[in-house]
Amino acid sequence: MSMDIDNDQIEIIQEFVTESQDMIEQLEPQIIELGQNSDPEIMNAIFRLFHSMKGSAGFLEFDHITRVAHAAENLLDLIRNGEIELVPDHVTLLCDACDFSKDALENVNSDYTDSSMGPAADEMAEKLHQAIQIAKQVNAEEPAATTEEPTGATSGSDTVEPATVEPVPTTEPPAAELELPRLEITDEMRLSFVQEGNELLQNAEQGLLAWGENPGDTESIGDIFRQIHSFKGNCGFFGFVQMEKLSHQMENILDRVKSGSQLAVENPADQLLASLDVLQQAVNDISDGKEGIIEDLEQRVQQLQLLVPPLLGEFLVEEGVAEKAIHQAVKTQKKPVGEILVEQGKASPVQVDNALKKQQENLKKAKQETKPAVRTKTPAKRQDIRVDLSKLDSLINLIGELVIGENMLIHNPDLIGLELESFNKAGQHMSKLVRELQEMAMTIRMIPVSGLFRRMIRLVHDISVKAGKKVDLVLVGEETEIDKTVIETITDPLVHLLRNSLDHGLEPPDERLATGKTEKGTVHLTASHEEGEVWVVIEDDGRGLDRDKILEKAISKGMVDGDSSEMSDKAIYNLIFAPGFSTADQVTDISGRGVGMDVVKRNLEKIKGKIDVSSTPGQGTRITLRIPLTLAIIDGMLVRVGTTTCIMPTLSILEAFRPTMEQMTITPEGDELARVRENFFPVIRLHEILEKEPASRNLPDGILIVLEYQGSRFCLFVDEIVGQQQTVIKGLSEFIGNVAGVSGCTILGDGGVSLILDVGSLVESAEKKKMNLKH
Amino acid sequence: MADDIMLDNEDTQKDKYLTFHLAGEDYGIEILYVIEIIGIQKITEVPDMPAFIRGVINLRGKVIPVMDIRARFALPDREYDDRTCIIVVNIDEVEVGLVVDEVSEVADIPAANVEPPPKTGKSAGSQYIQGMGKIGKAVKILLDVHKLLFSEEMQALIAEQDET
Repeated sequence: MSMDIDNDQIEIIQEFVTESQDMIEQLEPQIIELGQNSDPEIMNAIFRLFHSMKGSAGFLEFDHITRVAHAAENLLDLIRNGEIELVPDHVTLLCDACDFSKDALENVNSDYTDSSMGPAADEMAEKLHQAIQIAKQVNAEEPAATTEEPTGATSGSDTVEPATVEPVPTTEPPAAELELPRLEITDEMRLSFVQEGNELLQNAEQGLLAWGENPGDTESIGDIFRQIHSFKGNCGFFGFVQMEKLSHQMENILDRVKSGSQLAVENPADQLLASLDVLQQAVNDISDGKEGIIEDLEQRVQQLQLLVPPLLGEFLVEEGVAEKAIHQAVKTQKKPVGEILVEQGKASPVQVDNALKKQQENLKKAKQETKPAVRTKTPAKRQDIRVDLSKLDSLINLIGELVIGENMLIHNPDLIGLELESFNKAGQHMSKLVRELQEMAMTIRMIPVSGLFRRMIRLVHDISVKAGKKVDLVLVGEETEIDKTVIETITDPLVHLLRNSLDHGLEPPDERLATGKTEKGTVHLTASHEEGEVWVVIEDDGRGLDRDKILEKAISKGMVDGDSSEMSDKAIYNLIFAPGFSTADQVTDISGRGVGMDVVKRNLEKIKGKIDVSSTPGQGTRITLRIPLTLAIIDGMLVRVGTTTCIMPTLSILEAFRPTMEQMTITPEGDELARVRENFFPVIRLHEILEKEPASRNLPDGILIVLEYQGSRFCLFVDEIVGQQQTVIKGLSEFIGNVAGVSGCTILGDGGVSLILDVGSLVESAEKKKMNLKH
Repeated sequence: MADDIMLDNEDTQKDKYLTFHLAGEDYGIEILYVIEIIGIQKITEVPDMPAFIRGVINLRGKVIPVMDIRARFALPDREYDDRTCIIVVNIDEVEVGLVVDEVSEVADIPAANVEPPPKTGKSAGSQYIQGMGKIGKAVKILLDVHKLLFSEEMQALIAEQDET
């Protein structure tokens, strides 16, 4: 493979990688489903994955990927044809093939070559071949001769033909014209067909337009040909016979052009474009849920056929020249066919002249008939476009700036004291628009959790096999949308939580039966919008958390000291999130090192999320991840200490009050406690953390804000609450790094910078400060 | 964008230094790094920072940290006045403001007129000196902005903050 890769090629490769990755992600869960019920539709989808990956990889010369995909395809084809019975090993094998492909794609993405995957590819392909061999031996009575090379390796349309058990429409036009039972086409498949079709047609259109202006460019013809060819293949697969027929005819013409034949018109681009429009119309139809019928198909096809002039030989036959002789003449064709025939005495000059005249006439006629092809431009229906994430981020940043700018404008100090009725009206209008824009921008980043959830199917499958447990994973609320960054951040936590549920939570089948439960455990994975947050809930019906065991372990590790009988269940359950904490007596390869829960906590903190744990012994555990809807903008309470103003996230604030001396208690250690109704909360002084001089150190002169963090509550002492405002979160500079107690900063209406306090680390940094003071 | 400008002007920016005044001495930094010069403005303090990191400012919606060069070189403090400036520099896509007493001019100092830095450094600042630039009789202390911002000492200080 040459290493001179230009930008175009890189783009193609990158597209290939993202597309394939998407497909694998989509199909992996389906492969597992395949093990449970062999649905022909799923089978086909998986087959298509490997097939198109093979095709693209082959085109891009990623030989190792091609090899593995080909082997997987072979296996699938045999299964699909009913020659091999699907066994669980095959599912595992196919999953492995997916894993290999993922690795290979990663490699391709970084190095633009898959050469380093050689050994892995050999191994993988060998495994697949072995599986085929073994399966064949099992089916010894089955004649194995036909299975050697079950699929054509190159052309897209041919490979969907194999005589399958389930009714896949073949691409043979005569067969397809019969009302064959159609392949069940899901909406999803339809959508992907429409998207792909749109893309192919658009590319072809661009190619045609370019070629129309520059007819000498034969390279672009090849490109157009490929686009139409792929489109035809797709149509064939989906059984859109008419579209297939038309595209087939277009392909024929392009083929003629490619080989340099003369056509009825100098440049058939216009006619081809008209046909393209027809196809586009049909694709639009399909996206609307119709069948993509082309009404005047015959006429269209005929028109295209007119473009291709019949060969001279055909007219010569009409003139009574022996067909055989013409064939021979064509074979020796160096000079015009006519001349040869005359030379050989097989045809008289008159006959040839007549034939030539007829050919000319025919061409003329065709020219006249084909001219009126007027393009009716039908715009493509765009479902979605791919946008670089960084562009989106900068758009959202800009909107953040706009919010700040709007604040600065509306609350401009210059306006204070002025009567500005009209200005205020305009200002309000603008505020509304800005808010809408902001909300819209937020939704752009939101993607459904289904992708994330479906990835878990594979995980659960793998673990349940490893741990010897039977599990039903139920997904609820897959359509719930969450910010893309959040999805990335909660992927790892979900993996760890599910692992825990499966490894510790669910009992082995015999134990379950003994306690009167069903043999199969159930894990619910739910996503929903609740209370202005997104909740992701993992719930199992296993044995539940063992309160005593957790406590015992915590005491032995010195995480809890003294009397623990007072601890609430909640506080005890929260201990499982401490780093290094594990109640597992043995470290298995699934879990037990005490790392996972720490990851869960840390990642959730990153996105300002919370974790709730509830558990009933013997009945199961429920872990709720509560995640704020947006990351970029929060509701904040502006508080003041001395001359400094800071922002507190409103979500963590429970209440605020002006304390009286009677409410305050000071412990012998010097800790201040505030009594709020029946509870005592420790007091943290913000001025001590920020090292500022407050207006007063006397508690009754200021305000106590009750904050909640991971189930524990405390009071924060500030001078006053200034107000509430929508806050656009900005990171502190990389140069500064992380600052304890501060999660970021924002720009206030007056243009000043204000720090956003991080409730979680406030507690920690307050404790640390105290420690330092004591020592 | 900034990169393009830098590339375009690579030649024209060569040997050009922005000179400024600090505690009675003249200093210079390569113009290449300078984004803009702004007057002193309200700085928001950030807790747990070394004393020479004064805090952060709002530069047209961007929050950038501000370093006081006097404090960095352990020179005596001085009240900010209307001549005090913040020079905004960009190094490796990190923008930092540098507080100086007074900005003077852009000076052309060809490499031939730059002497290597003195070996004996008694002040905290001497290790950040890139060379001594001569313009006629005047001498400008040319600072290595990279070292100023990313010296090991600086990294250690920041790392220390991260831990707390």
